[in-house]
This record gives sequence, C-alpha cells and structure tokens, in this order.
Amino acid sequence: MQPRGIAGVTPGVVVRSSCDADERAWVLGLRRGDAAAFDAAFAGYRRRLYSYLVRMTRRRDVAEDLLQETFLRLAQHAGKLDPGTRLGAWLFTVAHRLVVSWARAQAVRNQLAGDLPRREVAHDDRSPLEALADSQAQLALERAFAALAPAYREVALLVGVEGLPPAEVAQILGQKPEAIRQRLARARTQLAEALGEHAPASWRTP
Amino acid sequence: MTYDDDAAKLTELGRALPGIDLDASSAARIAQRARWNIGRGPSLMRFVEPAIAAVLAASYLVWAIAKVFEALR
Repeated sequence: MQPRGIAGVTPGVVVRSSCDADERAWVLGLRRGDAAAFDAAFAGYRRRLYSYLVRMTRRRDVAEDLLQETFLRLAQHAGKLDPGTRLGAWLFTVAHRLVVSWARAQAVRNQLAGDLPRREVAHDDRSPLEALADSQAQLALERAFAALAPAYREVALLVGVEGLPPAEVAQILGQKPEAIRQRLARARTQLAEALGEHAPASWRTP
Repeated sequence: MTYDDDAAKLTELGRALPGIDLDASSAARIAQRARWNIGRGPSLMRFVEPAIAAVLAASYLVWAIAKVFEALR
C-alpha cells in the first residue's frame, strides 16, 4: 500500500528533527534494499511515530503493534518508493490508516461487548501517558490532549508536535486543507479551555 | 485567529509534550523483523486468505441457488 499523493508535497517552512537531505538519502537507500538506510529511517522516525500512536490509541501495546506494522509496510514497499517520496509523510499516512482501522475494529468490539458486564480491573487511576508526566502542568497537558476528540487530537499532534505543514497534514489524513484549519482552531480552543490555569501565558492574552 | 497563529500556539504547547519511546528490546525486535522483510513485498497470506474466503462464499452461493432451483422444480 503506497500512500497516494504524498511524493509531491511541497515542503513547508517548519523545523524538522530529520533534515530533508537525510530523508532523500534514506529513500534512495530503501529503494536499493539497503538495510542501513532502513535502520537510519527507523532510528529517525521510531520515537515520533510511537509517540503519535500512543497518544492516538492511548495504549502502549496497541501502539507497539501498529508501529511494527508501519515499519513492516515500509520494508515491504521499500523498492517501490518514488525517489521524491517524503518519508515522514509516507510513514504518518500509513500510521494514520492503521489507527483508523484499529479504531473501527475497536468500535465493533465495544458494540458486541456492550451487553456483557464490565470486568473490574484493579489499577491506579492514571493512564500510561499520565504516568509519564513529571509535573502538574505536564499532567494537565496530557489530559487535555487525551480529552480532545480523535480527529482534533490527530491534527493537534501532527501540527503542534510534529510541526507538519497543513498541506502535508491534509494529505496524510485525506482531508481538505480547510478542514484541517477548522479542526486545528477547534483543537486550540478546546485545549485552552481544558488547560485553564496551566495554559501557557501567551494563550491567555488575546 | 489565523491558521498560522493556531499552529504557532499549538507548536508552543507541543514542545512541552515529552516524546514517548519504546524499550530498547522491543525496538530491536521490531527493527529486526521489518529489516528481514525489505524488498520481499506483502506476505502471500494477505492474498491467500481473502481468496479462500471468496471461494467458500461463492461455493455456498452456488449451492444455495442450486437448492432454490431444485425446490422450484
């Protein structure tokens, strides 16, 4: 499955953790079946993709499975990559589609299990994400992101955390740029409300 | 508020979110498994399983239609 329409995305003016030249070299290496290029791409994107997947699924075990599937697909399609493929957008497109499939399957499972009595599980009331937070502000931030509807959370993560430009986010999510702008505005409003006093100072000034 | 304002504010917030990483052994396992698949293409099972399901469904449909005709005779 080669995500369509990603190869020709115009690069946005954003700071990225991996530079475009590296990415191009990785793509060319992957096309040749070079394991070192795969290792470099894996090292460059593993953490970013895993963070995105954990925050979208809110489950580390699921995120790990989806991360594995994302990189398996990269390996399987390595030879078919277009030389101009933007690897980050390609990987996030695959990860997004896997999250959508997982969410659909999860919704069906929940519907089927709707009549069954809920099993009580003993645990503390903090999610794995919240357990990572080392301050009240960070805890509030994780909770605020987790409280967003998935469509808003995804845009907020791709733009706010990954620094991707709207055109690229629109292609990753298969949406129009206008829809992305609206989702981003709503995400920002909801985050501001949820954060309250924990919002950065610049958010509180009009 | 423009898109750029929204994006800038969210980027400011995003910087405060810590990156989450896998443990080293899981990362190594995933990398090793994926590396082994470089250039191999999708697994054949991905095509074989739907094909088996399609053959079974088609056979059942043919059998059901035959039974309907048998009953109508």
